[in-house]
Amino acid sequence: MRRVSNAVIASVTLVALCSGAWLLGSGAEAHPPPQPSPAQAAASGGAARSAAPALPHSPPDRIRIPSIGVDAPLIGLGLTPQGSLDVPPARKKNLAGWYEAGTSPGERGTAIVAGHVDNAEGPAVFYDLGSLRKGSTVEVDRLDGRTAVFTVDAVEVYDSRSFPDAKVYGAARRPELRVITCGGGYSRTTGYQGNVVVFAHLTGSHH
Amino acid sequence: MRRTARLLTGTALAVAAAGLAAAPVYGGDTGSLEVYPSSVVPGADVTVNTAACGSDGTASGDADAVGGGTFTLAASAHEHEAIGQFQVPPSAQPGTYEIVATCSHGRHVTGDLLVTLAATREQVEPRGHVNTGVGGALGPDPVQTAAGVAALAVAAAGGTWLLHRRARGDGI
Repeated sequence: MRRVSNAVIASVTLVALCSGAWLLGSGAEAHPPPQPSPAQAAASGGAARSAAPALPHSPPDRIRIPSIGVDAPLIGLGLTPQGSLDVPPARKKNLAGWYEAGTSPGERGTAIVAGHVDNAEGPAVFYDLGSLRKGSTVEVDRLDGRTAVFTVDAVEVYDSRSFPDAKVYGAARRPELRVITCGGGYSRTTGYQGNVVVFAHLTGSHH
Repeated sequence: MRRTARLLTGTALAVAAAGLAAAPVYGGDTGSLEVYPSSVVPGADVTVNTAACGSDGTASGDADAVGGGTFTLAASAHEHEAIGQFQVPPSAQPGTYEIVATCSHGRHVTGDLLVTLAATREQVEPRGHVNTGVGGALGPDPVQTAAGVAALAVAAAGGTWLLHRRARGDGI
């Protein structure tokens, strides 16, 4: 009897030890969001595929990126007092925003969409944005019933301290889109070091 | 017979009058007309939308205040909103204008449009990086950590017990 109970205690102890170690180990393990590879950077001087004709102004209401499983509503975003783009409320994991005072997606110019890579609970809407590749499709549903279809030209990562404002936010002659999230390494004290930025241009639209 | 007819006509008129009197129920101004962009330069296209017209409601729009004429708001699949567009004439003067939409069932909704001169418009672009993450995807999951600590505590208790028995010579 005693022998049996010793064996039971020993095995319970062993199982508890192993599972405790595994739980602590894997829980603390870093699961950083994917980052774009240099191959996804903008081709130097390469003429991008021809753009589709611009659409009239219309606020968007949804963004879809099928290749990374994104399908999220869009809310309007403004600027922070410091002049940087505001962000959607972090509590809602599946929510992105667009810069309302700027170009609407599909219109001629640079439309800007931003969303969280994660929040306090874990991965959020644009967690996989860094794994997007050139040629992928980004679709934006608009309130006028049209869907603007964009094709990815580049996926870049920029450090916060040297963020290329003109390249990311600057005006464009054709309808373009930027999709922005956090990335570029993470530090416990200062958070994410930069942003992943997807550059895309309009290649079609449908109702 | 004629009398009956007159009676019926009278009743019909009364019902119609009651209907008219009741109409303002739909004429209330709950719901509004959203105007995008709400601030434009002369010559710009403006999109308006409203959810006030119901699921399959269309509406007629009136941008005469700013010289944009009348236009139609068509029903869309997007959250039961009626949507329409008009152009602000290049000759429009700066100021705030009221844009009106009247639903097919009679309800009025209004929204404001601000017209500014081109010089003051100069689209403001955001600057700098965007704070779109807090590292929640990287840190330890508190629940998992707690479970791990609990499991290790069980292991420690079991180990202690076994050692204790062994020390007492209970045979292991």
